[in-house]
Amino acid sequence: MDLQNVLKSTLVFILAGGQGERLYPLTKDRSKPSVHFAGIYRIIDFSLSNCLNSNLTRIIVLTQYKSLSLDRHIKTAWNLYFRESGNFIDVVPPQQRFDENWYMGTADAIFQNIYIIQHEKPTYVIILSGDHIYKMDYQKMLKYHIEKNADMTIAACEMPINEAHRFGVLETDSNLKVVGFEEKPQYPKPVPGTENAAFVSMGIYIFTTDKLVRYVSDDHKSDSSKDFGKDIIPKIYETENVFAYNYVANEGERAYWRDIGTIASYYEAHRDIISISPILNLYDKEWPIRTYMEQWPPAKFIHNEEGRRGIAINSLIANGSIISGGYVEQSIISPGVKVNSFSEVRGSIIMHGSTIGRYAKIQNAIIDKDNHIPEHMQIGFDLEEDKKHFMVSPEGIVIIPKSYVQ
Amino acid sequence: MKKILIVEDEQHQRELYAMELQEEGYEVDQATNGKEAVDKVKANKYDCVILDIRMPEMDGIEALGKILSRDKKVPIIIYTAYSNYKSNFMTWTADAYITKSSNLKELKDKIKELVSTRS
Repeated sequence: MDLQNVLKSTLVFILAGGQGERLYPLTKDRSKPSVHFAGIYRIIDFSLSNCLNSNLTRIIVLTQYKSLSLDRHIKTAWNLYFRESGNFIDVVPPQQRFDENWYMGTADAIFQNIYIIQHEKPTYVIILSGDHIYKMDYQKMLKYHIEKNADMTIAACEMPINEAHRFGVLETDSNLKVVGFEEKPQYPKPVPGTENAAFVSMGIYIFTTDKLVRYVSDDHKSDSSKDFGKDIIPKIYETENVFAYNYVANEGERAYWRDIGTIASYYEAHRDIISISPILNLYDKEWPIRTYMEQWPPAKFIHNEEGRRGIAINSLIANGSIISGGYVEQSIISPGVKVNSFSEVRGSIIMHGSTIGRYAKIQNAIIDKDNHIPEHMQIGFDLEEDKKHFMVSPEGIVIIPKSYVQ
Repeated sequence: MKKILIVEDEQHQRELYAMELQEEGYEVDQATNGKEAVDKVKANKYDCVILDIRMPEMDGIEALGKILSRDKKVPIIIYTAYSNYKSNFMTWTADAYITKSSNLKELKDKIKELVSTRS
């Protein structure tokens, strides 16, 4: 099969049902894949952009909880294809054909949508998570899957061994054939030939279709948690050809992958992006990240007097925002935000439509959409005081939920 | 006594299977289409379901999913005159796929094997 036919006969599932409890309150009214990122994006834009850039154009987004904002986002930002062309990005909520319950785990989400696989008859199925920030050429991984004559290929990222215990850890032989797998092991097995690194599963899988169907169908009848990591991988590598795909070695300098699991990792990923030359390069013409852009005028900076100077340094400032005599440093300013005179914003993420009142001082905070911070208010300076009104993460990041301060 | 549900729209065939399986010592229930089968599975606990595919009202493919959602561990044998449904992934959730023949031995052997695993 030539490449064009391989791509045509590949179906992508993006699992976008994550509740994201540990990202609360950012996930109060939206699912994890639809949480905003870097001012203008939503987390799912990264997986979808990777598909687009990899020429994969048959995509099913499986949603579950609080899917309204995600659904709307995909309809507006990702309405790219004519159904008749055979290309599509379909948002599919649980159909309850097999089960009246919602998806139990990742494998159950695929099982309950077997009828889609039946209908599309792909040769290969790619399964992605909609809540990671990363760049990846899935086409390369697909070629690898075919070259290895694999039944399943798991994208793997080398990680310092002392951090690997939070992930599913793959044990491989020197050909990268998977010979062991442990979910969140106490003592992770190192990559062959090293001592300090382990291969962790990135939750990105390619299956040859009949094996996928066979394993998720069998798993459906068991009492398992119906999860690829916990239930399918530990079984499938024992009898089938399962390979690890070395993400960093294949992706080269573009390799950047973050599972945005917690407020701290969300905040850290933003710190990465405002650094001078971040690995996750949003300006890369070869690998553009697409999103929905509301029509806004350009960002505006006004006032130039001592103490009342509209300035932003080491920051991302989105369209539609006005830095009106305020000071912004190390921050993300989303569309339609206004930072008023004499105020200061440091190390913070300010989301769409929020305003920072005069003389207010904000540091190390995430302010969700449509908040209006009153004049003189201070956030992030006295955490005990902040805890009385807002959420404060264990790392000391203050989070203000959507439309909370009016 | 192990209890079996036969789902088959063809009356003669259904009654023949029922008779033969009763002789083997099973308690046998009958349904004439998928919808009836789903209702019966809701109300009873079976040790095995024998499921035809082509039936009026609700076919075996649709019934399969609905039966499994009621009782995901009940062994299901697809018993059909057609072999082409094997390529339908929905049928992969069944425990066995047997093409009908005049000799019921293959079916009986499979039932015996499957009911022994059912607790």
